[in-house]
Amino acid sequence: MELDRPVILSAQRLGKRLALGDEQLSILTGIDLEIKAGDSVALVGASGSGKTTLLGLLAGLDTPTEGTVYFAGQPFSSESEDRRAALRAEGIAFVFQNFQLLGALTALENVMIPLELAGRETPEALARSYLERVGLGDRARHTPRQLSGGEQQRVALARAFAAQPKLLFADEPTGNLDQATGQRIADLLFELNAEAETTLVLVTHDPALAARCDRALRVEAGQLHPEQDSTS
Amino acid sequence: MSRGLAQRMLRRHWRGGELRLLAAALLLAITTVTGISLFVDRLERALVLEASAFLAADRRIEGREAPPEAWEAEAQALGLATARTVGFTSMAFSDLDALLVSVQAVSPNYPLRGALKTAGDPLAAGAVTRDTPAPGTLWAAPRVLLSLGLEVGATLDLGAVSLRIDRVLTDTPDQGGNFLLAPRVLMALSDVAKTQVLRPGARVEHALLLAGPESALGAFEAQLPEGFDARFDLEDVRTGNRSLGRALDRAERFLRLGGLMAVLLASLAVALAAARYAAQQADAVAVMKTLGATSGTIRRLYLGQLFQLGALVTVLALGLAYGVQAALFKLLAAYVPVALPAPGWVPWVLGTLTGWLCLLAFALPPLLELETVTPVRVLRRDLAQASRKGPLYRGLGLLALLGLLFAYAGSFELAGWVLLGLGGTSAFFAALAFVLLRSGRVLGMQAGRAWRLGLAALSRRQGASIVQMLVFGTALMLLLTLTVLRSSLLDSWRAQLPEGAPNHFVLNLDSEERPAFQQALEAQGVVPQPAFPMTRGRITAVNGAVLDPKASRAAARLTEERNLSWSGPLPEGNEVVAGQWWDELAPVPGLSLEADFAAGVGLTLGDRVTLEVGDQRFDLPLVALRRVAWDSLRPNFFLLLSPGLLEDRDATYLTSFFLSPERQSTLPTLLRTFPSVSIIAVDGLIAQLQQIVARVSIAVEVVLFLVLGAGALVLLASIQSTMDERLREYGLLRALGGSRQRLQGALVVEFATLGVFSGMLAALGAELMIWAMETQLFGLPAQSHGILWFLGPVLGVSLVLTLGLLATRKVVSVPPLTVLREHGA
Repeated sequence: MELDRPVILSAQRLGKRLALGDEQLSILTGIDLEIKAGDSVALVGASGSGKTTLLGLLAGLDTPTEGTVYFAGQPFSSESEDRRAALRAEGIAFVFQNFQLLGALTALENVMIPLELAGRETPEALARSYLERVGLGDRARHTPRQLSGGEQQRVALARAFAAQPKLLFADEPTGNLDQATGQRIADLLFELNAEAETTLVLVTHDPALAARCDRALRVEAGQLHPEQDSTS
Repeated sequence: MSRGLAQRMLRRHWRGGELRLLAAALLLAITTVTGISLFVDRLERALVLEASAFLAADRRIEGREAPPEAWEAEAQALGLATARTVGFTSMAFSDLDALLVSVQAVSPNYPLRGALKTAGDPLAAGAVTRDTPAPGTLWAAPRVLLSLGLEVGATLDLGAVSLRIDRVLTDTPDQGGNFLLAPRVLMALSDVAKTQVLRPGARVEHALLLAGPESALGAFEAQLPEGFDARFDLEDVRTGNRSLGRALDRAERFLRLGGLMAVLLASLAVALAAARYAAQQADAVAVMKTLGATSGTIRRLYLGQLFQLGALVTVLALGLAYGVQAALFKLLAAYVPVALPAPGWVPWVLGTLTGWLCLLAFALPPLLELETVTPVRVLRRDLAQASRKGPLYRGLGLLALLGLLFAYAGSFELAGWVLLGLGGTSAFFAALAFVLLRSGRVLGMQAGRAWRLGLAALSRRQGASIVQMLVFGTALMLLLTLTVLRSSLLDSWRAQLPEGAPNHFVLNLDSEERPAFQQALEAQGVVPQPAFPMTRGRITAVNGAVLDPKASRAAARLTEERNLSWSGPLPEGNEVVAGQWWDELAPVPGLSLEADFAAGVGLTLGDRVTLEVGDQRFDLPLVALRRVAWDSLRPNFFLLLSPGLLEDRDATYLTSFFLSPERQSTLPTLLRTFPSVSIIAVDGLIAQLQQIVARVSIAVEVVLFLVLGAGALVLLASIQSTMDERLREYGLLRALGGSRQRLQGALVVEFATLGVFSGMLAALGAELMIWAMETQLFGLPAQSHGILWFLGPVLGVSLVLTLGLLATRKVVSVPPLTVLREHGA
């Protein structure tokens, strides 16, 4: 592990509480985290442990009730929602368990969205090249409804990497796929990630997938622990 | 970038069907409003034009003195056509005999509306002419020639002048429903002075006739000096002809009401469709925000879509509206002989404005709220979106709705009643719907399984179900209201002009001739109607104070010589609105006046009125005020006396009979046998009224049809709005083993229940609204409409069930896996 790589994402004393009537429900407490550029980190944990909530906070999709998230050295979580969106447009991409493609648009148009939002010059050519890269060059005009689950996730991967992000969040990317398809998607994810040298934060409860990351962190009862039996 | 993306999304969403309902609702709103406005606008222009024939003008200024020259000059300067008439009664002398005639002296451009008909022989049918009598000549009604035994070409002395009878006058446009005792004679205005009959104090009616565009007429009226109405009466089609005025008024109110309801329903459909579209887009917005879209981007994106859609739909709708009204008029071509005036610009602007107001007030708010969707929704879908501006937008929407209501209703009264009906029934509906749902659940406990499933679905979505019931109920209520109002309106029109209603009036029948005349009629197989004794008299003093006709217009009206009659029982078509009708058998001497007339001249119950009839003088208390059905073509009187004051021999008789068109040839024989009797044929007038009513009825039906379309769209939009939830639920049920048949059954139960309940709510609401409208707006008697309680639920079930099952066929036909994948959490 090279030590001179900069820290791209960090969290200090991060916590999230929800008000449930009179009671306060603590979902995450005292999370400290540092991820260096180019790292791949798996967040593992049981259902309801808070790992997806943590991903939402780290990606600026939600705001913490305490603590701060830093993105490229800048306090990220305290920015306004629109500012966070603009920062995401510039350098953060996502892959979700349920793909989250826009049903009304074609595969090509879905891949073009982040490029257009970031104001890229030739979004269509770029999107097309990434679709070809994930093996869907001939399905560009198809809508998500006309694609299988695996194909949809490939489109989602093309959308994520076409934006050439610094940081990629993947939330259970194989969770909705059968084992063989899941395997192929995971291979493609790690392949593209290695090519682009993107920092990867992967939420999963699949130990095999977690094992392919540089390191794994376990979320348990709202707290973060280093994964002891990580194979890396 | 957002414009390109907006265009792409618009295109895709259109193809995907997400926007179709919104577009259809908007299209219907604009098309309906523009179409109805265009149709009403053109129809009204045509009707008013036609009805103006009854006045011989668009406006008529009438007085005891000639309206000033300056007014005529002003009118001409405004581009109005003008004509003058002077009317008076005078004795006309032939060499051997004399006859009281009603003279109308007219300027050469008379009449400005309608046409004169003349013939060369008293017994021949008349033909339309554009001429007027040349100076030195006159045109006389057939009875003048028959009574005096004259032929065309003979001379007749009127006062100091001798005029040659040039033609037989068979028809004048402005004789309307006024019964002239004396037969009519038409002469040139320039000859009037020579007659020397217009001495001071003579009973003369001068009139200035005006015709032209409504704007110029309005400008002219605005220029009339203040207080002109003390000396002159200003008449238009409505004040000039009561039966026609009432029919036009009601038709216009109804068409406006239809337009109003169509707008309400279309707004409701737009709001529902937009809310659903917004709900569907929440996930997409969350994804886009996750990918870096700011609130501004989202706002621009959806505003862009909405404006592009709005512009497209507007163009399409305006074209469609023009086509619709053009097609309507083509259908009506047989009934519309008048050349149709081109539609004005107002309907186009009104339609466009309505569409955009609908869009901005009802479609924009839910779409603007999309910018508040939080991106974290991509991870946790159950997170509610924070809505800060919701109440503000809804408030604005409501204000816009109020504005629309008033703009369409054209009257605060109409809009007020509709609002009150809607507001009151909505609140009541919500409470009742809650109770009905509860009872439905209790019932469901004891029912079979498909029943239980369907009813459970209803009460599970209690909130949505109540809203849906409200929406269905409101739409149905408006439909029912309009349907019933339409038929009571048409019935009341038809009742005015029943088949076989008397189409000939007989005047001047004296008591000695009466039996012979009756026999002559019976010999022709004609059944005479009851006869009314009639004489003329005038009011000279009120409460002992002698009236000076020059003092005020009211005094002048009061002292005019009028037809009057007497009767023991209250005549048919009369209703006592104040005071008490005399005892039929033992009447106390008294006087009864028509209520509007009494109010117009300032008489109240209990006033002592001095009446001169011939050389007799009566001092009578005003004991009863009557409302008279002027729109019935029956003899009606402003003044009625209690029986026993005047002897029947003092009177001539007024009677009527129905003569079928094929029997018309018997008229000349009758006229020859009874030369002093005048017979006025009103079958032309009746035919004209019937034609107008027929046309208006078609317009009314078209409006109803458009409103029905809007109602169906609302039902669809409302069903669509719970579609995603249904898909999810039924997908899950099917995955868990529910058979298609069972689920279909549950859907049938759900929609049928919804339909029955909404139908019952609608019946109740409609009953209240109809009561208010009939009594408050249309001046019809209040009545209960039992049919509503049958029609409401039946219509509710059939409409809701059909549309519901059609709209939800996807629910049971799409494979459950697809449903769960696309709509699952």
